[in-house]
Amino acid sequence: MTTRSASPATKVFREPAVEPRARAPRRRRRTLPLRRLLAPYVFVLPFVLVFLAFSVYPLFFTLRLSFTDWHGSGAAHWIGFDNYRYLLTSSGFWSSLGNSGVLWLLIVPAQIVLAVLVAVLLNAIKRLRGFYRVAFVVPFVTPLVAVAQIWIVLFDQDNGAVNAMLGAVGLPPVGWLVTSGWAKPTLALLFLWKTTGFVVLIVLSGLQQIDRGLYEAASLDGAGRIRQLRTITVPLLRRSLMFSLVLQTLAVFQMFAEPYVVTKGGPYTSTTTAGLYLYNHITRADLGTGAANSFLLVIVVMAVSLLFVRLLRAED
Amino acid sequence: MNPTLRRSGRTARLLPRRGAAVAAAALLVTGLSACGPDISSDAPATGNAVLQASSDEAPKGEITVWDRSGDLYKVFDAAIKKFTAKYPGVTVKHEAVDIDSKLQNTLITGTDVPDGVFLDDAKVGGYVSHLWNLKDVLAPYTKDIAKQKVDVNTVGGGIYGVPFDLDPGLLFYNAKALSAAGIDPNGIKTYDDLLAAAKKYQQFKPGAKPIHLEQNAFNSQLQLEMFASQLGTGLAGPDGKLRLNSPQYHQILTWLDTVRKEGLGTRAEYLKPSDVSALDSADEVFYPWAIWFDFAPQQQLTATKGDWRAMPLPAWTAGGARSGAMGGSSFVIPKDAKNPKLSWLFYRFLMFDQAGYTAVYGPNSVYPGGLNTSVPAYQPAADPAKPLFRPIDAMGGQDVWKTAVEAGREIPGGAPIPAWWSGAVDYLGTDLQKMLDGALTPQQVIDKAGKDIQTNLIDRK
Repeated sequence: MTTRSASPATKVFREPAVEPRARAPRRRRRTLPLRRLLAPYVFVLPFVLVFLAFSVYPLFFTLRLSFTDWHGSGAAHWIGFDNYRYLLTSSGFWSSLGNSGVLWLLIVPAQIVLAVLVAVLLNAIKRLRGFYRVAFVVPFVTPLVAVAQIWIVLFDQDNGAVNAMLGAVGLPPVGWLVTSGWAKPTLALLFLWKTTGFVVLIVLSGLQQIDRGLYEAASLDGAGRIRQLRTITVPLLRRSLMFSLVLQTLAVFQMFAEPYVVTKGGPYTSTTTAGLYLYNHITRADLGTGAANSFLLVIVVMAVSLLFVRLLRAED
Repeated sequence: MNPTLRRSGRTARLLPRRGAAVAAAALLVTGLSACGPDISSDAPATGNAVLQASSDEAPKGEITVWDRSGDLYKVFDAAIKKFTAKYPGVTVKHEAVDIDSKLQNTLITGTDVPDGVFLDDAKVGGYVSHLWNLKDVLAPYTKDIAKQKVDVNTVGGGIYGVPFDLDPGLLFYNAKALSAAGIDPNGIKTYDDLLAAAKKYQQFKPGAKPIHLEQNAFNSQLQLEMFASQLGTGLAGPDGKLRLNSPQYHQILTWLDTVRKEGLGTRAEYLKPSDVSALDSADEVFYPWAIWFDFAPQQQLTATKGDWRAMPLPAWTAGGARSGAMGGSSFVIPKDAKNPKLSWLFYRFLMFDQAGYTAVYGPNSVYPGGLNTSVPAYQPAADPAKPLFRPIDAMGGQDVWKTAVEAGREIPGGAPIPAWWSGAVDYLGTDLQKMLDGALTPQQVIDKAGKDIQTNLIDRK
């Protein structure tokens, strides 16, 4: 506010006058040169082209293929939803999803618990920390085929080291890879051994973001290590754990190489995972059914992943 | 200005741009999607392209041929030198390739298509629409090629592969172990005789399970087809109809089930550690398998190396055929090959020219005694009196050539391999394994696998 009686020397705060909009000088719109206008689009163009060619186009091509009976040569015939109908009424498709579901149950919960425990221990130890971290990551970077061959030898029913150890303590041999009851747990063990190190890394990075002060305060309040783990570590690791959960769910439902190398989907079809079942269609040049199968698999995996994401949001 | 209003104003300005971008992307994607196969409601084109031989006396050019890596690649590599010596104008680019994983994509896309490919007989039928029909070029030789090999390469009257090897089924046996048990292998003339001999051996060596019962679904179906081939049948007839529900298959499955029920079979995968262990401990002494089992005594068995011999398979009925075919490969020429005529020239040399088949089967740096895991499908090359490979030391110096060639001549024809054969493993191979584990009866295998193959494979082609 202003006053007429104030001396000129007095500094008076004046609110900036608000010019009526109608009187405001019209800002002249400067036209940018065409080159500058196009520059951002040109910069993103390489990515967009690659994305269109290698992600969007295959996606649409596969969608189109899923409505045909194309076997890799000649004309494809439009058959509507026949491939989807066939798969949804096929025992093989549901059995492959069931196998992946059982493997998920055998792998993911155990892996998350194991990863938290290992990460907490790795975070706590002072000596040889680097060595242990590397040791847990080594299986993840070892070629799968090499690991699978070791698994085949270790778990051989007659000459494997595992059965030899069981024999040494008077237990009968187990058909680890040749009986439908044991093949899935044996495969799950391979997957756990191979990929847990990666989950440990994710959890470890989450652990290092937790404020140490929280532990010190809890300690002063008399909370023991187990209580700290339950009330501080696990709740604050929730995002890392959810991320791992979604990632490993995707990995398990797409699992292909492990059963392909170790069991070829057997015995019977007990380890034919959703990924391997899909592959079988493609190798038989039943490309239309394979395309429909991949879309159904995408829907299942997306639904499961979205469920986890929703759960995470609800917790937040 | 109210930020919300400002944002909505901006959004309003951006909408046309975004719409245009999405429309452009959709247009591009739709255009690209149309690059796939034509979609029509017409009957599939059979595309019967019949290859004709070149009349060029001094052929020139380059061909690319695919072989699978390993011993055979090296064998063919050596044979190529003989070919180029005879045809100096032709260059052969020889590539070791994982054919199973590469061929399909290559043929579909038509990119870098080779001029010739080494392919399992069971897979030829699945690719015929991409291959040259070789009926005319093979015509001068067809009468001299083992009938079974012509049949497996024949689809709809066309011949789509140059037959390479014949893989007769033989009964491999541990001669030393049988001799100790007082069993004369020459007395095994029928499968009932084999059961009796196995029982006698088990009495001699309690705990032994003398007959191999394959534990891998694919191999067990392959072995089943060997038995069926012996009876002049196969999963599908020349008309493409399923022949599983037949007295022949019932007889074979019942015999396998008897081996299981009477505890006479070793359940193991072909030459996996369990199998090798049972073979080397002389618990498993009978192995009805293709000639390529002779690799085991030569390379894998230690304790029983030198003890093994081969004889023709027993017959299903007295006087019946003493062999059936198990496996085998041929050479195919893709329609998109750049030089199909030169490719045919190459395979004609390898299979029908004495210099060629001698280079393949005769002594070479890879097999100093000659390639002894199969015999030629071309009958003039498979003369019992003119062996291309030498007697095998690891089999006690037996002349396996003579045994195999004579057995090969007993293989009946009339058993084409349908395009869906490999796919049937998920059903027939799996159900066969269930039967060998005691979970299904022979009739249940026939009914269940028959229904699944019909529904999932034949009706969907």
